Amino acid sequence: MGWTFYYPFSVQSGSGVDFYMAAILLLGFSSLLGNANFIATIYNLRAQGMSLWKMPIYVWSVFAASVLNLFSLAGLTSASLLVLLDRKIGLTWFNPDIGGDPVLFQQFFWFYSHPTVYVMLLPYLGILAEVASTFARKPLFGYRQMVWAQMGIVVLGTMVWAHHMFTVGESTLFQIAFAFFTALIAVPTGVKLFNIIGTLWGGHLQMKTPLYWVLGFIFNFLLGGITGVMLSMTPLDYHFQDSYFVVAHFHNVLMAGSGFGAFAGLYYWWPKMTGRMYDERLGRLHFWLFLVGYLLTFLPQYVLGYLGMPRRYYTYNADIAGWPELNLLSTLGAYILGLGGLVWIYAMWKSLRSGPKAPENPWGGYTLEWLTASPPKAHNFDVQLPAEFPSERPLYDWQKKGVELKPEDPGHIHLPNSSFWPFYAAATLFAFFVSVAALPVPNVWMWVFLALFAYGLVRWALEDEYSHPVEHHTVTGKSNAWMGMAWFIVSEVGLFAILIAGYLYLRLSGHAVPPEERPALWLALLNTFFLVSSSFTVHFAHHDLRRGRFHPFRFGLLVTILLGVLFFLFQAWEFYQFHHHSSWQENLWTAAFFTIVGLHGLHVVIGGFGLILAYLQALRGKITLHNHGTLEAASMYWHLVDAVWLFIVTIFYLW
Amino acid sequence: MKRGFAALSLGGLALAQEAHRVAITHPGGSYNQEVAFLYPWVYFFSFLVFLVVAGALAYVVLKFRAKPGQEGEPPQIHGNDRLEVVWTLIPLAIILILFGLTAKALIQVNRPIPGSLKVEVTGYQFWWDFNYPELGFRNSNELILPAGVPVELEITSKDVIHSFWVPGLAGKRDAIPGQKTLLHFTPKEPGNYYGFCAELCGPSHSRMLFRVVVLPKEEFDRFVEAAKAPQPPWPTSGASRSSSRTAPPATAWPGACPLRSSDPSLGFSETAPAWRQASWRTPRKTSRPGSRTPPP
Repeated sequence: MGWTFYYPFSVQSGSGVDFYMAAILLLGFSSLLGNANFIATIYNLRAQGMSLWKMPIYVWSVFAASVLNLFSLAGLTSASLLVLLDRKIGLTWFNPDIGGDPVLFQQFFWFYSHPTVYVMLLPYLGILAEVASTFARKPLFGYRQMVWAQMGIVVLGTMVWAHHMFTVGESTLFQIAFAFFTALIAVPTGVKLFNIIGTLWGGHLQMKTPLYWVLGFIFNFLLGGITGVMLSMTPLDYHFQDSYFVVAHFHNVLMAGSGFGAFAGLYYWWPKMTGRMYDERLGRLHFWLFLVGYLLTFLPQYVLGYLGMPRRYYTYNADIAGWPELNLLSTLGAYILGLGGLVWIYAMWKSLRSGPKAPENPWGGYTLEWLTASPPKAHNFDVQLPAEFPSERPLYDWQKKGVELKPEDPGHIHLPNSSFWPFYAAATLFAFFVSVAALPVPNVWMWVFLALFAYGLVRWALEDEYSHPVEHHTVTGKSNAWMGMAWFIVSEVGLFAILIAGYLYLRLSGHAVPPEERPALWLALLNTFFLVSSSFTVHFAHHDLRRGRFHPFRFGLLVTILLGVLFFLFQAWEFYQFHHHSSWQENLWTAAFFTIVGLHGLHVVIGGFGLILAYLQALRGKITLHNHGTLEAASMYWHLVDAVWLFIVTIFYLW
Repeated sequence: MKRGFAALSLGGLALAQEAHRVAITHPGGSYNQEVAFLYPWVYFFSFLVFLVVAGALAYVVLKFRAKPGQEGEPPQIHGNDRLEVVWTLIPLAIILILFGLTAKALIQVNRPIPGSLKVEVTGYQFWWDFNYPELGFRNSNELILPAGVPVELEITSKDVIHSFWVPGLAGKRDAIPGQKTLLHFTPKEPGNYYGFCAELCGPSHSRMLFRVVVLPKEEFDRFVEAAKAPQPPWPTSGASRSSSRTAPPATAWPGACPLRSSDPSLGFSETAPAWRQASWRTPRKTSRPGSRTPPP
């Protein structure tokens, strides 16, 4: 079915699709939590004195990629959720037989799946810049411009997705707009490339393996950038799209671009991660095999694209001049790549087995990680960091100034306790998704695993994070929970925004016609009353907690939870009634209603469960004046659930 | 294969491609001719950018490699704002030029051409149906077009998404169930053109091939006459054929590249042209795994 799982092919294909969709949903959830975690860490837990503009470029690039992922992942989540619903219970937005639009699937899908290539590129651009600076023995050329270029890629990256859909017959104006932004994104990407060359220019290049990957990257990415501009030229794209030309292009930017960046980072930080040096000769052999193998595999594919060979063809007419020969070259190149892969594994294995012990800073790196032992200890630094960061290269600056680093007092080191429950929660959630994918929905097993998962969360929430009281200081003054949840909410807003935009499109274009019998407005208004009141009660409960009034706090929290339960029960009753009285598999409006309102209901359950965790923590006396447990994040989430509901009432019940 | 490699020089390849006309630069139709002016522009800027950047890269590697015994550190330069402006504006200018040309060509190729012959193109797993509503006949897997007459293809699908692509004539257009997409062009050069389904559509996607036969106008008119005649001008092989009006062989056209029976990729019968077998009514499951019998 291909990784794009285009509708309706994806509802026709085998049960592997169910696992694919479930895996995307689970992985998406985990990557969003990871992104929120990255951003909260970057904002809140920087070393004292390291302002944003003194951060390593790699940290900036992770920040940029995380923002982009949080903002756009909703597209893929919507696409895979709707395909899964279609396959499992026959609820569909895309089925043309009932007026659905298969192209809407592609809009959802590419809204994320184009930005994702920048999510896959940005961190590596950061790595490449770090490696270039270290091995040229120079500071970054145009550090701020690189950061701005990165943020430019983030913004433009969200405005180009429809260039994957030039051939679906959208209006010419629509295509021109997307062609423009697609071409435009070459500018900030070019700026990144030029600045990396500028960093190397005039340096003393230490010809070590990580630098080889940087140089290879520049060459390959140059080719990929040029062919990317060709692809933005829509009339040519009508030919290149889904041909071997585009296969060559995206391997150029992803495999020989991001992939080479990943190898640069791997060899660069390998001594730091493992405490062992690797064999330079093997590293270089790996590089050359990959470069030659890559060029031999993919350059002929550009020509194949010109010769009209479509992608995803496993057999073809051997009489067509050039096709067999070029494909043979590609195959030979793939074997060379495979050989390079074997050399790589051998190099890593040999290093782990018998590599010389790595010093703290084998390359003379300029950033903080090179102060730690190789591999780093659990608490990272044995020395106290000075609070002054003159530039993004603290180690260089401190050495120039002759700053003496004082050893850290072991009494200041606090590490959280180890816990079994995060692993348990991940495993049970995984089992939940497996049972959703493997069995008809609903089934007993998914409820069993969901209950086990909830049990794990409760145990986790009631556990002591530290064995003795610890106060956290953050750079921004906001708690980590606040910062993480604030960014996570960006993704939730994105998810509802995407689905609601899809619904509005179906409704306004006349595809989704509301049935005569619709869910009652009075019930929705009653539920609105419950939910809005509960936002106030949780707010006042939190207020009481800050003032140290524990009894009113617990009472307010309990009232909030009960209001949430009331809302949920009414909603469940309404769903039960409406699903019996409506042809929900045959009406797009009803399908959209059940999807969006149901998804909101899921959020009520998740938010309510977060509040229950906070209530249990309060009963156990774990919530104190300074430790608000899960309450802060849960109450923010609860406000979000409330705000989304107001939109839903407007577009489904009032309109 | 040996000779194939010898032909891999650009000129040799272009010549060899004449046989199947699958190169996207082949000027077989108005579409390919109208977008051809884009290539020199984009090649010019591509080579320019490539020479400058790859040249700078080569210079860096040769010139700034650390020498053995080199002491001290290189000059610690943090950037150059003027340079940043230059290497932002120059790519921007190139992009704007190429974008302007793109928009111009795009508007031109997507514009409907007055007086077009309309053909309804429908994709099925894994074959194509071509219906000529104005001429009153239909055909499967072989699209016969008159040279010099503009055509409007109205493309759709009856199952999953396919994509209609004849590289030697025009860019591709998706066939989407429940929707109609349009493709406009004028075939110019008579001959046979290979066509492909370009959107992954199932196990036999790579066998969902077809061809376009562009006939000189008079030839095409004769073909249409014969196609509409109540009695086919060749002996029928059985009663299984439907009574629909079908077309005579176009391969008789001199110089046409015959589709060989050993060709693995085309579902045509080994003994007779497609329309004689009405093969679109019973796609051969053995040769196209995953295909299902189409609705009658």
